[in-house]
This record gives sequence, structure tokens and C-alpha cells, in this order.
Amino acid sequence: MQPKPLVELQDVSVRYANGVLALDRITLDVNQKDLLALLGPNGAGKSTLLKVILGLVKPTSGIIKLFGSTDLAKNLKSVGYVPQSAQARDTNLPFSVFETVLLGRTRHAGLLHRMGTHDRKKVEEVLKMFGLYELKDRKIGQLSGGQTQRVFLAKAMVSEPKLLLLDEPTSGVDPASKHDFYGILERLNKESDIAVILSSHDISAITKLATRVLCINRSQFFCGLNEDFSATAELPKVYDHPVEVLEHDHP
Amino acid sequence: MITLESIWTLLQAGFIQRAFIISIIIAILCSVLSIFIVLKRVSLIGDGLAHTAFGGLALGYFIQGIFVAFFSQYVPWLIAGVIVVLGSIGITKAMRSTKISGDAAVAVFLQLGLAIGITLLSLTRVGIRIESLLFGSILLVSFEQILVALVIAVITISIILLFFKELVYVTFDETQARASGIRTWFYDYLISVLAGIVVIVSIPIVGVLLISALLVLPALTSIQFTKSFRQTVILSPIVGLATVVLGVLFSVVFDVAPGGMIVLTGLAIFAVVLLAKRIQESAKK
Repeated sequence: MQPKPLVELQDVSVRYANGVLALDRITLDVNQKDLLALLGPNGAGKSTLLKVILGLVKPTSGIIKLFGSTDLAKNLKSVGYVPQSAQARDTNLPFSVFETVLLGRTRHAGLLHRMGTHDRKKVEEVLKMFGLYELKDRKIGQLSGGQTQRVFLAKAMVSEPKLLLLDEPTSGVDPASKHDFYGILERLNKESDIAVILSSHDISAITKLATRVLCINRSQFFCGLNEDFSATAELPKVYDHPVEVLEHDHP
Repeated sequence: MITLESIWTLLQAGFIQRAFIISIIIAILCSVLSIFIVLKRVSLIGDGLAHTAFGGLALGYFIQGIFVAFFSQYVPWLIAGVIVVLGSIGITKAMRSTKISGDAAVAVFLQLGLAIGITLLSLTRVGIRIESLLFGSILLVSFEQILVALVIAVITISIILLFFKELVYVTFDETQARASGIRTWFYDYLISVLAGIVVIVSIPIVGVLLISALLVLPALTSIQFTKSFRQTVILSPIVGLATVVLGVLFSVVFDVAPGGMIVLTGLAIFAVVLLAKRIQESAKK
């Protein structure tokens, strides 16, 4: 039997209270082990789409299923999320790297229960996996952009997700850190069954990683396998502008 | 200025000892809440709630003035308690609304509470010293007030401990907490309602005008040096305790109003910490 998609969107539209149509009839399935590249210009609705999947934004119409259920909140425990603004933290925020990653275990510990030894061990494991163990006592605001992104990815991963949503995770990160970040992501996707939805403007890098591509600019322009996607053919339509994709040395 | 001997004699007086005891209870309570208030960037909520409490107390005294024979002295405080809890729910609802900014929401409730308070107090037949509400009257604290503060402190801290990890996550980042399935609205209201209750029990110490300082300064001072949430949870009550104990002591030594001296002491500690941080940062460069 064909396993159920982890995410199903059927004709999902979002119109904000101010009348702006943010998404127009998006239809999408994300399956286990998929790495979906979500492409589109600024204001195309990429962040809104991720927020719709997380139940943070209510759709005006359409059906959303997460792990086969329309009760999104019930299944969020199995979703890891790295928001676009993850790096822009107050440098005074008194959270250590360890504590930040530990937050990812909150739902697993359960309401009215304290975090236990198992949760702390899990955090240590993930910190080691992401090369962050030496930084565990460092204040989160004292890290570089690349290190911060790894911490937020570690925080998402410590919740043992089946689905990972990453909203422009490498914006503002230096090229070397981007390279490391994509390397980690590729390894995670290949070595585990985690499905990833990755929104980014780094078209060259993420189309090398992706198994599938979704191009949107409020409405859907392309959704399919990476090998069927032609950046030079599809992106000018999405961006409404000539687009030249420059190859560079990402994983 | 009074002599050391007379200070020692004063410190042995029951009213001074009661002042220290309630100060310690309120300091711990406010310091713990201040961590969530400061890190969630809702520092003005203390002011909004204090002025709402002022309106509530004025309403209580106004009603007591009409039905004076049936009312005990605690009824105005109970009425103020109900009003401030309703006010804290209203402020949080307005702050969570996208139609009005957070500071504007607090300002509306602050002005409403103050306006109602001033109007009703001018009509009230019961003799109230408005200064004791505005600036506190810590030296007149009774044993019953200490008991009430203690019970509220135990309940408030127990609730915080019960929901600690969720409160920490919501304080760290509300969007990420929501994305993990935490009902963040509940914790926003919880912090606000607890702050409202703490404001009510704290008014006898520093009064309406200065209470927000106790809900901000301990955490604001602590986070200048702390590197983790755990350190902040430990340091904030220490700063709060030092602020009120030294403040009450200085007020006895210099024979000045305790409320003002407590806040001035807190501000002085904050200034010293900022200066030390600046020196430490310059030394590193």
C-alpha cells in the first residue's frame, strides 16, 4: 500500500484581512524522504505556505492534511521548524546553546512534566552531531550567523521530526557556513527518513539538493520532480523577469 | 540623619521587621515574573496593570463609602483584585490583537484606570490617603497582609513551576512555540493575570506609581551578565532581594519614603551593573 503523504494541500488559498491574496489554489503532496525546494520571489507567499502547514495561518479555502489528519496541532510534535527570523535574535537574550536546543524537547516532555535525563542526553547527541557541543554553554546571541542557523536546525532536529520546514535558513549567512549547512541538510535527508521543505533564494544550491521543486508567486507555477524542472524555463515566469542561474560550489 | 544606635532600635521594631518580611516576599515574586515580562518585551504591562488596580481600588473604596456598615477593610482590595484580573485579560487581548500596537493597548488601560481612580476617589466618602496608594505604605503593613502575600507568592510560583518549560519556550520565541503546537495564547494570559495579582499585593510596598520598576529592574539588571536562562532565574531574585532590602534599610537610615528609595536602589544597582559591563567589554577589546 502506498504510504500517505506527510503533507497534503488541496487548492489552498489564503487571503489576508487587508484583502491581499497571499496564496492562490496551491496543491501539493510531500512524501517521506522528499526534499522539496520552495522557490519564488520576495512576497511570493513562501513563508505563508510554511505557516499554513504549521497551522500558524488559517487558509481562506482548501484542505490541509498533516500526516493524513486535518487536525494540524495534533501532529506538530513531529514537525521541526526553522523560521526566517531565527538569526535575528536579541544579543542580550539569556539563553545558552544547550537551553535553546532543549526547547525543541518541550512537546516531547509533555504538559506538567519536567525535562528529564533522556531529553538532556538527546540534546547532547544532537549538539555533537552538529558540531556544536563545544559551544553548548555559549550565549545564543554571541554566535555567528552560521552557528546560529546550526543551533536552530539542531533545535528542530532534537524533536525527532518526520518533517522539517526551513524558511530561508541561510539568508544573511556567509558562503562557507551556507556550504556547511547544506551539507548537513543533505546528510540528514539521505541518512534518515525525514522529509524537508526548504524555501530559499539560493536557487543553484537548493536545486542540487532537492528531489522535488515547487515554484510559486502567490499561485502555483511548477510542482514536480527536480529532474523535470528547468530553472531557465520556469523561473522567468515565476519572477516575471529574466533569470540567470549561476552555478557555484555548493554540495 | 539618625545614629547607628537608633537604627538598631528601629530594626527591632515590629513594623520595620514586617516591612522587611513583606519586601522579601514581594521581591522574590516580582523578580521571577520580571524575567518573563522583560524577555517577552512587555515591560509596560506592569504600569498598565498598576493603574488598572488603582481604578479598581478607587471603585472598591467608593462602594465601601456607600455601604460602609457592611464592608470590611479588605473588600476594596478584593474588588481591585477582580478588576485587575479582568484588566490583565483585556490588556493581553488588546496586545495580541493585530489592530492595535502593544504599547498603545497598555496606554489605553493605564489612562482608563487612572481616570476612573481619580474620579471615584474624589467622590468617595471614606477617608483614604491617596499618597499611600500612589507611593505605598510599607511601614504600615499588617501581619494579615504578610500572610496574604505569602499565600499568593506560593500559589504564583507553584503555577510558574508547573508550566515552566512552556513559559520559557513562549518567552524565547512565540512563533516557534506556536509552531511546535504550544497554545501560546494561554501562557500570554497566564503571565498577565499573575502579574496583575502580584501588582495588587505589591501596592502596599511601592505603590501604584513605582510597582512596574519591581516587575522590570531585577530581570533587566540580571540579563546584562547572565549567559543562560538558568543563571537569570537564579540571579534575578538575588537582585530583587538586594533592591528591596537595601531600599528599606536606606529609607530607615535616611528617613525617607521607602517606595521611592527601593526603586532608586534598584536603578542604582542597574546603573552599576551597566557600568561594570561597559568596563568589562572595553577591557576585552
